[in-house]
Amino acid sequence: MGVIKSKKAFLAFLLPGLLFYILAVFYPIEESIRLSFMKWGGIGDKEFVGFQNYITMFHDKVFYTAFINNLIYLVIVVSMQLAVGLFFAILLTYMTRHVTLVKTLYYVPCIITTVAITQLFRSIYSTEPMGLLNQFLQAAGLDGMVTSWLAEVSTALAAVSIPEGWRFTGMYMVIFYAALVSLDPSVYEAAKVDGASELQILFKIKMPLIKEIILLTLTMCLTGALRGFDIPFLLTSGGPGNASELMSTYMYKKAFSSNQYGYGSALAVFIIVESILAVYLIRKVFTTKEEREIREMERMQRRQRRREGR
Amino acid sequence: MKGKAIKIIFAVLIILFLIIQIYPVIWLFIASIKPTVELSSAPFAFPENPTLENFVNVLSDGKIGLYMWNSLKVTGISLILIVALSATAGYALSKFRVRGKKIIFSFFTFGIMVPVQITLIPLFIFYSDMGILNTSFSLILPQVGFALPLSVMMFVSFYEFVPNELIEAAIVDGCSPFRTFIQIVFPLARNTVITIASMYSILIWNDFIFANTFISEGSAKTVAMGLKDYVGAFGNVDWGSTFAAIAISILPPLLIYFALNKWVTAGMTMGATKG
Repeated sequence: MGVIKSKKAFLAFLLPGLLFYILAVFYPIEESIRLSFMKWGGIGDKEFVGFQNYITMFHDKVFYTAFINNLIYLVIVVSMQLAVGLFFAILLTYMTRHVTLVKTLYYVPCIITTVAITQLFRSIYSTEPMGLLNQFLQAAGLDGMVTSWLAEVSTALAAVSIPEGWRFTGMYMVIFYAALVSLDPSVYEAAKVDGASELQILFKIKMPLIKEIILLTLTMCLTGALRGFDIPFLLTSGGPGNASELMSTYMYKKAFSSNQYGYGSALAVFIIVESILAVYLIRKVFTTKEEREIREMERMQRRQRRREGR
Repeated sequence: MKGKAIKIIFAVLIILFLIIQIYPVIWLFIASIKPTVELSSAPFAFPENPTLENFVNVLSDGKIGLYMWNSLKVTGISLILIVALSATAGYALSKFRVRGKKIIFSFFTFGIMVPVQITLIPLFIFYSDMGILNTSFSLILPQVGFALPLSVMMFVSFYEFVPNELIEAAIVDGCSPFRTFIQIVFPLARNTVITIASMYSILIWNDFIFANTFISEGSAKTVAMGLKDYVGAFGNVDWGSTFAAIAISILPPLLIYFALNKWVTAGMTMGATKG
């Protein structure tokens, strides 16, 4: 609760930030929605076409390809970031020395621009000269698997997903590690005394205790993957064909390469709806009955307090 | 000694993963001191004849300096705006007793969910109507706008720790809300400012999507865009210069990260978990 009552000062402090925010974030959302009902090629007059862009979208084969690709991308990215991140966070809790150093270094890939990362992976995947991955396969005697990973229809999507997953694994590890070490040791020390094994403690006590963090990171990770753009765009720009096309690369191409601004906006609106829906669904699925009751109670208390306050 | 064996296995796994995470980055730097010939014959071997020639080439051509300057301009101005706008808006939303401020706060936090792609088409059209494509401003507007939700939230949660009594006392003593902010509240928020500034300096420096959409002319290109001059293109690529350019351009964020690593991670992990 605040203490200053001057409305004038309130507005003076709030408005600059609020207006900037509205101009940069909400004006574009409004414009995107408006444009998604228009047909416009970049020059001349915009033509109102009603739901035509959305109808086209739901009849567009590439749209479905991009949607499915995005789901696969999402599964790869999320499982790399969360599963690998969590796994190494757990391992790290058993380390006693150099933990800070390891954490600091794990984090480095998130600091580097995606343009550099794509360049790096382009070299790793390449066949001419033989990239790291292919050299490794040759050394392991798997010559048959040597291929140009980005140009192959069957591998391109996985090849553009992995760098994204790799990049942020360290960040999620740091988050999970922080959550794990902040747990009160007395809780699981007691279980240990009662004869619980390390694995039991891990899955029955520690995991449930950091459920909230896992849920939050899952939300973050999912919305991040739904809007994935940089790495696929730079590595393959959706190719070969549409084999690694994602929603946002498709939107980008439609708008800025084919100048179909209306259709591009319809795709953009779809991306935003999809992201908000995903967040909502996760929250819904993971809120247990108990938590819902607690929340309901809090709301009632708040209402009561407000009534008393007035 | 079962426990010890497990510990060793854990340590080995951690080190293996560490190599996966960090080797590619180190390799970037190694590659940048290799002659182009070696890069095309044995790109992953250690350099036989380390050379600084790549760096000389990149620096003497002068473009990278311009790109770095552009990035610096965008990053610097954005940071000042982000801190100024979110410190004040956060103060309004935290220390004032005004109706409707909860709704405004949720309105701000809603922004965390909005994908940046939604702004590309409308802002592109807006900028080309106004004739301000290819300017630093075209990048600063969305960078600041999308940074505000999280940074306002961070300031609000910090201000909650500033006791109301302190502000009440100042007001009673005849201090205006503005002076209270400038002389008492804002100086206390030093850590929040460093967290936000260090995190967003890296994120904005690295931005690709806005720069790629709104900037097409060489003179306004930022570093991330400038690198694409070398990347993307196949055929006659001067790999040596490419890697030298990459090495130069990722140095500033890395330096900030290693110098302020506590704050950077705090900011980014907060960004992740508050979403």
